Amino acid sequence: MTHYAHSRKSPATWTAVAVLLAIAILGTLWIPLYARSAPKLGPFPFFYWFQLIWVPLSAVLCRICYLLLRVRPDGPAETGRTQP
Amino acid sequence: MHIDSIPFLIVVTAFVLVTCIGFAASRWRPSEEPMRLSEWGLGGRRFGTFVSWFLLGGDVYTAYTFIAVPALIYATGAAGFYALSYTIMVFPIVFIFAPRLWSVARARGYVSPGEFVRGRHGSQGLGLAVAATGILATMPYIALQLVGIESVLTVMGIGTSSDNVFIRDLPLIIAFGVTSAYTYLAGLRALALIAFVKDTLIYVTVIVAVLYIPARLGGWGHVFDVASAHLKTTNPATGKPYGSLVVMPAGEWSYATLALGSALALFMYPHATTGVFAASRRDVIRRNAAMLPAYTLILGLIALFGYLARAVPAVNAGVKANGGNSQLSVPLLFEHMFPGWFAGIGYSAIIIGALVPAAVMSIAAANLFTRTIYRELLRPYATPAQETRVAQLVSLLMKVGALAFALELNRTFSINLQLLGGIWIVQTFPAVVIGLYTRWFHRYALITGWAVAMIYGTVQAYRTSGGGQSHFGGSAAPVFGHVTYIAITALIINVVVSTLFTFVFRGAGVQDGYDETRPSDYLADPDPAAIPRPRPADLAPQVPADHVARHPPARTAAGSPSSAPESGPPQ
Repeated sequence: MTHYAHSRKSPATWTAVAVLLAIAILGTLWIPLYARSAPKLGPFPFFYWFQLIWVPLSAVLCRICYLLLRVRPDGPAETGRTQP
Repeated sequence: MHIDSIPFLIVVTAFVLVTCIGFAASRWRPSEEPMRLSEWGLGGRRFGTFVSWFLLGGDVYTAYTFIAVPALIYATGAAGFYALSYTIMVFPIVFIFAPRLWSVARARGYVSPGEFVRGRHGSQGLGLAVAATGILATMPYIALQLVGIESVLTVMGIGTSSDNVFIRDLPLIIAFGVTSAYTYLAGLRALALIAFVKDTLIYVTVIVAVLYIPARLGGWGHVFDVASAHLKTTNPATGKPYGSLVVMPAGEWSYATLALGSALALFMYPHATTGVFAASRRDVIRRNAAMLPAYTLILGLIALFGYLARAVPAVNAGVKANGGNSQLSVPLLFEHMFPGWFAGIGYSAIIIGALVPAAVMSIAAANLFTRTIYRELLRPYATPAQETRVAQLVSLLMKVGALAFALELNRTFSINLQLLGGIWIVQTFPAVVIGLYTRWFHRYALITGWAVAMIYGTVQAYRTSGGGQSHFGGSAAPVFGHVTYIAITALIINVVVSTLFTFVFRGAGVQDGYDETRPSDYLADPDPAAIPRPRPADLAPQVPADHVARHPPARTAAGSPSSAPESGPPQ
């Protein structure tokens, strides 16, 4: 039985998702943000540890977006019947 | 070089183990209807979050990446690190569009992006263009996996001493032949299972390497010092320093566009979309967008192997002895830093890590060929069994082709073509991804934009010199004073031309294509998580008759809702 991921999310939710994903993408796309060697984390220049830390951070952002957008599946859209 | 017996035995054992798994996979989650393309080519579209994670990770993080990225960093420093930022960016991008692509493919039974484009824009020509681009870009990618295996075999001392081409390449031919055999039989199922082994080996190797090797070398501080000192020295070929430890302002634009362009390209490649289509539920993809970065972290650590290799004098000597081939730096690092048995595990990780993506790529290209070329042009009324047989054969042909490619043509040629492949595949982005959201673009305008961008990208790549080559010397070329990844420039040209020609064709009254998809298809989720999965026995009577009526059989054949997991007897 086909269900449909109808979204009844508010515009605010969608805005939040868009902002979070934009942050995740721009975080490493905007090079001047991290193209420097100081401050170092131990022996690691900033350029390296910033990007390595951005990996779990982007995962967390995606996870938050997933939770924000998660929908309870409803019945089939075309007939309106619900399957037990 | 001589062959060290312990690593050799470990590699052979790993290969035999993987082969057994591959052949046994045909009995994993067996289907009542094995001769359907969605069974062989998409594993029945029933991989949940966990299996998809292994499959997608095993498939898009290829061995070539594990060899080439550290090799680039070994040679040029920070510039090669764009590979990390691209694999960071790719998942937010996938998060946005991939669920829609999955849903429409599931609702309409598509197994490849070419079919979606044909159905959405009502244009056989555009579907063919997307399929041909996918197949063209995939072939050199498979060949490069072989280059990855070759570099490991070279370091192991296997086959390289013989002058006879056949004897020299025999290990490669055996490895590829055996992989082709179980791919032919078990399809994507085999690779999903083997991906578990591949990924486990990779994770173990990388975690041990980052903990063990720096300690032996005197710590990361020393490693960065050595790398920094090397990168500052002048490269006699160019008269400039080899590179830098941090991206310089002049290199920022090419770093950013390479990262963005590669991120847009990755999930346009057929092997990546195959991994997406094989998911069982819509939310598997978004969940994985949050879990796949675990591989990105591994990739980032592997990238740093380039600096570790630089800090080992024996590796530098070995690279020099092989004509300055920096692709050998990681295998050489394993050879010189690990005890023999663990070097064997590292080699196995790379070799199996090359075989899995190569095989998924051959399946993906076969799916594209079968649905977009065979069924559209050659035999429109092909039965599901005929389709499956054709796809199996094409997957074999792809592998043989790639093998011939890798053995006959020189390595530089494969690398050039792979570079071109990346530029080409991005040009399918407007038809596929923009097409998921809007049909505003006219079908012929999209074809025109694609063609212009393909020609521009090819010519521009040909004209780019660098790295001692007068042609195909790099993937970035100056545009208005900024060194930009050619794929991005070509994509902008693609979109601009498509926009202009949309006005032209609309103005001239040229008819739009017929869209066979419906808005609800893009949200379809036949088997959502919150609904308890029905047992096979319960499912058969529930399969609603209206699905059969709504979707003509020719289109439902592969993966419509009526072929939901473990469906009952064929209808």
